[in-house]
Amino acid sequence: MALFKRTTKDLILKIDEFFDNVDIGLLVFREGVKAYLEKDMEAFDRHIRKVELLESNADKLQRSIENEMITHSILPQHRGEVSTLIDVLDEIIDTAKSTLNEFSNEMPEIPSSLNHNFLSIMEASVNAGEELIPAARAYFKSPYTVREKLLKVYYFESETDKISRSATRFIFQEMKELDLAHKSHLRYIISHIEKISDNAQKAADLLSAMAIKIVM
Amino acid sequence: MILLFLTSGLFLGWSLGANDASNVFGSAVGSRMVSFRKAAFIASVFVILGAVIQGAGAAGTLGKLGAVNAVGGSFTVALTAAVTVYLMTKFALPVSTTQAIVGAIIGWNLFTGNQTDGRAMTQIVTTWISGPIIGALFAIILYMVVKTIKKNSSLHLIRFESYIRKGLIIVGAFGAYSLGANNIANVMGVFIPAFNLQELNLGLFTLSSAQQLFLLGGLAIAAGILTYSKKVMETIGSNIVELSSEAALVVVLAQALVLFIFSSSFLSNSFVRIGLPPIPMVPVSSSQVVIGSVIGIGLYKGARNINFRILGEISAGWIATPILSGLLAFISLFFVKNIFGIDVGRKTELIKETTIQPISVTTADPNISNIMQYLILGLLVAGAVAVLYYYFLERKKKLEFQKSEEKFWKNIK
Repeated sequence: MALFKRTTKDLILKIDEFFDNVDIGLLVFREGVKAYLEKDMEAFDRHIRKVELLESNADKLQRSIENEMITHSILPQHRGEVSTLIDVLDEIIDTAKSTLNEFSNEMPEIPSSLNHNFLSIMEASVNAGEELIPAARAYFKSPYTVREKLLKVYYFESETDKISRSATRFIFQEMKELDLAHKSHLRYIISHIEKISDNAQKAADLLSAMAIKIVM
Repeated sequence: MILLFLTSGLFLGWSLGANDASNVFGSAVGSRMVSFRKAAFIASVFVILGAVIQGAGAAGTLGKLGAVNAVGGSFTVALTAAVTVYLMTKFALPVSTTQAIVGAIIGWNLFTGNQTDGRAMTQIVTTWISGPIIGALFAIILYMVVKTIKKNSSLHLIRFESYIRKGLIIVGAFGAYSLGANNIANVMGVFIPAFNLQELNLGLFTLSSAQQLFLLGGLAIAAGILTYSKKVMETIGSNIVELSSEAALVVVLAQALVLFIFSSSFLSNSFVRIGLPPIPMVPVSSSQVVIGSVIGIGLYKGARNINFRILGEISAGWIATPILSGLLAFISLFFVKNIFGIDVGRKTELIKETTIQPISVTTADPNISNIMQYLILGLLVAGAVAVLYYYFLERKKKLEFQKSEEKFWKNIK
């Protein structure tokens, strides 16, 4: 029993640490994009290194959480769903890392007139991800409040869609001075930033179903 | 020879262990909250404890119904009950060991010309109906309590589940104790009037004749749990697994409480002391109480989920089991008496309300008592060896797992 007690506490701490990693990862991602748009490459590199560290830690925690849940037969009825949730959350921090890496490798040329659009898309997308974390934590502690917390995730996801659609239209219809390759590259970067909110929505759908199941 | 007659009771005990232990630990094992080995070990120990400590109450009522006063009769009655359980199970009909043994005793009464005690009969039948209903009521109340605690406590889901897991083990142990206390009467009740063994002194405590029989019966139930209940537990568990883990805990607790109530003389005496009528000490079907409890939770959640066909099947089982078992007992007793020439019992005076006639075909024969003593001691030693083996096996498994874990995480880093 003593062994099991420690396992329970360890696992709760690991899940909390995993959520912290995703949460901080999103913060660092926001700062990284801002630094890139402000052309502060030193800060940008520092943020990339930080997000890589957080992502690698999240991966380790994910493996460890899934391993412990199986070996100690914890949450046998919800284990599959919890693993999927952690997997989708891990995809969010993976996307944050890969997007910053794309900025670093491909060095997209973002016209200063688009800075505001990029910032808005990034803010809305990151907000969707950030609003997901309290909902995911609530699933474990107060499942009755999960669904109300998810409303903000859906709101920011749809905001991200709207802003990115109007930015893409602006790039392709108004910015005649850019060649097609440049336009496509910018759209590609936008869709990458958008992926964070898409994953947040995917996790929100899953969480919503999980919460109903646990409350019933 | 006389000990050979006990085999039918032991067989009945074995089948009870194989089938009914699933009512106690089925949901926990099926949902993988508790490992089968741990569940089987706990259930075995507590079934034996329940049988020896508290088995006398329900056995007394069965004795009132019909005191089978010849070992040949006890053997045949227990065997027909076991065959009925086997046949009903084979044809996938809901069956209760309790109803089978009651039917067989009535068959014996009819064959030997003994009158069936109407009061005991009424008590027993009333409990068959009230058992599942009380189970349902307990389940509703307990489920409401657990749900409220879950909603208001803000416990982390993993911690809550760990409490549920511990709860399942504790409640399962209590359930196994109650099962042993209540259902041992089905297994060994018919042998009590036929056996009169010398007291067995085990140093710390002394076992009466009935307790020695209960211990043997308890060991047979434990053997049934250890050897054959795994499949039943996993099947029952996967049927109940649609219930949440807290609902599973509630079902097991409700069932344990009902079985405990109908076998606790202390509780019954307490009722009498405060001016209430005594609780009848009657063996109850654990399966039917479990179904009652599940229906209780279903009603609480809204009656839409309830399969009313199951209710019909249970009612059919209530009627069919005692009739089939009674008929089989009557026919078997005829054959045993007239073809094999074995005494199956004789007509006695109507048994009074409060006393069980101490009619016994075996006197306190020191030879039989000695054999019994060695048998019980041998089985207890074997049990202790099995416990040690289990402990070292678990320890070895844990160490091997720990080593492989360390190796894995070393490679990952």
